[in-house]
Parts: sequence; structure tokens; C-alpha cells
Amino acid sequence: MMKAKNKKWKYTLISICSVSFVVIVWYLCINVLHLKAETVFPGPLTVVKTFIQKLYTKAPDGATLPVHLISSLKVALLGYFLGVLFGVPVGIMMAWSKWVDRLVRPLFDLIRPVPGLAWIPMFILLFGIGITSKAAVIFLSTAVACIVNSYTGIRQTKEEHLWVGDVFGATNIQKLFRIAVPTALPMIFTGLRVAMGAAWMALVAAELLAASEGLGYMIQQGRYSSKPALVFVGMLMIGIVGLVLDTVLHYLERKVAKGMNAE
Amino acid sequence: MNDKVKERLLSVLCAIISIGAFLGLWWWATQKTDLGNLLPNPGTVLKAMGGYITGTVGKCSLIMHTFNSLRRVLIGFCIGSMLGVSLGLLMGRYELAKAIFNPLYRIIRPIPPIAWIPISIIWLGLGEQAKIFLIILAAFANTTLNAMTGSANVDPQVINAARMLGAKEGQIFRTIVIPASVPAIFAGLQVGISCSWASVVAAEMIKAENGLGWIIQAGMDNNNMTQILAGIIMIGIGGFVLTCIMRTIEGVMCRWNKSGR
Repeated sequence: MMKAKNKKWKYTLISICSVSFVVIVWYLCINVLHLKAETVFPGPLTVVKTFIQKLYTKAPDGATLPVHLISSLKVALLGYFLGVLFGVPVGIMMAWSKWVDRLVRPLFDLIRPVPGLAWIPMFILLFGIGITSKAAVIFLSTAVACIVNSYTGIRQTKEEHLWVGDVFGATNIQKLFRIAVPTALPMIFTGLRVAMGAAWMALVAAELLAASEGLGYMIQQGRYSSKPALVFVGMLMIGIVGLVLDTVLHYLERKVAKGMNAE
Repeated sequence: MNDKVKERLLSVLCAIISIGAFLGLWWWATQKTDLGNLLPNPGTVLKAMGGYITGTVGKCSLIMHTFNSLRRVLIGFCIGSMLGVSLGLLMGRYELAKAIFNPLYRIIRPIPPIAWIPISIIWLGLGEQAKIFLIILAAFANTTLNAMTGSANVDPQVINAARMLGAKEGQIFRTIVIPASVPAIFAGLQVGISCSWASVVAAEMIKAENGLGWIIQAGMDNNNMTQILAGIIMIGIGGFVLTCIMRTIEGVMCRWNKSGR
């Protein structure tokens, strides 16, 4: 017991050492040895400084970090919720009803191999560069991931369980909501998490291409004004927000799908 | 047997009906409503695609653009997945490797590869290198995690049995851990290849002179919806072919493992 604890401590220490080692090497290479100019590869101090400054200054892209963040989140969540509201029921229906499957699946198979962000140019031409085109791209990426996972989830329902339902005289609807959907819940949540990753990625791509605010726009502006520290800040922010969104979903999953095979 | 044939026929029929209905709706919408000003009808797109394949879009034909994109993906994917799989296997097997690399990996992983585009342009310029770097990242981020779970979840009984029979650590790693992780590795490669495909399209949309991403981006700049749609169709086909290839390889490599499919 004691030994296992000691061991855990040792490895935590090694982890801390490895991260600090990288940061120190980074600092040495850039700030002490000047292997690369700060306009190409910013040092760690510059990144931290830029982050703090960006919280309240608007230069060079016209908005502060929180403003960019909120505008990105707004678009991402709008498209995401619409995609989930559409994708999950469609996936469930496709798995539950043979006729829906036969009719919808061919169309779905046509759309699925196209990555969500390939639709960006088309949606920009159709809807302009505002919130609609971005939300539409995110909607598509989200819906595809949700449909795939809800479909697989429902399909995992054990036939024996459905037979039990039949024996007790359950209607089709009852069997769906009492047996199939609870079985599929962990898979549906996996779908929600995959979709969140896809949505966030599609949003960043859309903002890199055409936007006037948002984190993707911010890093693109950082490149144009050759401020790589700003790009770093934006990238880290994108990573952190993605991680937070995923953690929230994971927490929800554990609350809702308690007792099912969610860890 | 007869039922199976019937079901087959029925699903083909339904596929024809639904795709036909979709194309019909598209055609009707472009002919009869205002959408026609924005969107070309399906016939125009198909005809244009034929023209792009035999003729040129930009500097070369549609097929050459596809090859350019595929080349970038394959180079980047091979390097990235090789790195990712070996690092993942090591991290799953050895606590020390995990303690050293996992925190770094966990910092990098949540950043979508696309967010690296601006910085990769600053570092590596606008040429091939920046794009390949992105795809390496995309493949790396997706394959590492799966390889790690795979090699961490190897049945300890098998490892202990080998150790009892006198296998050395190197032998255990080569003959047990690696083969046992193959199904998990392939799950990661599967995700990695589609993510790489999406990344190459994104990278080419931001800055390129050829490739499928360039086609749709140039279509947007010239307000040429036909070209965009042709590009999207080709991207879909490319993605489909890549996943099919991966699935076939997986089928061959994981023949021993029923759950590998």
C-alpha cells in the first residue's frame, strides 16, 4: 500500500520534471541562446505576457480574448445543439425502423465521407460569412457523429431483452424508450463527445477562413501581424476550451448514464 | 436465402428512390425557386466534373489535384502514425515513459490540428512542409491514445505466462504486446486517417496552389459554386477510398480477432 503510494509520487514527480524540463529548454533556446527570433518562435515568458495583455487590450484584431472566446462558444454551441437535436433522433430512428434505415441510409452514406469543414466554402457562398454559415458547418459535423453513434448504440440492444419486453406486452414505443434507448445511452454520449470535438475543430477552421471575430480569427490575425505569441495564446485557449467542453460532457455522462458501462 | 435476396432488392430500390428524390428535389429547387441563382443543378455539376477530369481546374486536372492531396496525406500519415503508435505502445507498457511523455501529450492533444495552421505557416512557410507537418500532427494525436490503451490492456496472464517461460522484456514487447495491441492501433489509425484527410483539406483551403482544398477555396473566391460542389464530391470519394483501404488492411491484419472488425 505504502509502496504503491510512493511509486505514484515518484511518477508524478517525473511528470512535473518533464514538463518543466521542456519549458526550461524552450526558455533557454529562445531567450538565452537566441536560436530562433522571437518573431518566429516566442519564448514562454512572451506567451504568458501576451496572454495577460490580451485579456484587456484589443490590438491587433479588434477584440479582447474573452470577447473572441464568447463569440466562438456562441456559434459552436448553437450549431452543436441543433446538430444533436437532429442527429440523435435520426440515428435512433434509423436503427429502430427498417424503413427509415432503407430510405435515409443511402443519403447519409453519401454525406458521411465528406469532412464537415469541406462544406465551409459552399455555406459561405450560400449564407455569407456570418453566424449562419458557421453554425451550418458545425451542425453537419455534429449531426454525422451523433447519427453514427446513436445508430450503433441502438443496434447493440440485446434481442433477449426485446423478447422479454414482448412477453410482458410492451408496445413498440415502450420497447424503444425503456429498453433500446437506455442500452444505447453510453454510445450516444460517446457520440456527443466525438461530435463536440468535431464541432470545435470545424469552428476553428471556419474562423480561420472567414470571420471577423472568434479564436480562429484571432490566431489568423496573429499570423498576419506576425505575432506568434498571440497565435500560441489562441492555440492554447482553443485546446483548453475543447478540454473543458469534453470534461463537462464526461461529467454529464457519468451523471446520466450512471450504472451503465460508462466508467 | 430468398428472404435475403428480397431484402437486398428492397434496399437497393429504396436507395434509388431516396437518392433519386434528393436529386429531384435539388433539380426542382434550382429550376423553380430563387435558389437557382446560387446553386447549379446536379446535371451541371456532373458535366463540369467530367470536364474537370479530362480538362483542367487551375493548373492541372481534377485527378492530379486529388493525387496531390492524397500524396500529402500518405506521407504525413505514415510518419505521424509511426511516431504515434510507437510512442503510444511505449507509454502503455512502461510507467516511466508514460510519466515522461503523457503530460506533454495531454497538453498537445486537445488542440485541433487545424489550429496549428497559422503557426505552421510562420515556422515552415507556405510550401509542402507546413501541410505535411499538420497531417503528421493529426495522425499522431489520434493514434497515440489508442496504441497506449491497447498496450496497457494486454491480458496480464499472457505476459506472466511468457515471463514464466523465460521470455525477456524485449521479447515480451515484440511478440506479445505489439501483436495484442493491433486491433486498438487500427481503431486509432481509422480515426487518424479521416482526421488527416480533413486536415489536408483545411490546410489546402488556407494556402495552396493545388489539391482538393484549393479547388473548393478557389471556387469560393471566384463565386463558382459548380467547382465547389465538384470538389466536395471528390473529397467525399477520396475520404471514402481511404477508409475502405484502411478497413481492408485492418481486416487482413486482425483476421484472428473477431472483435477487431
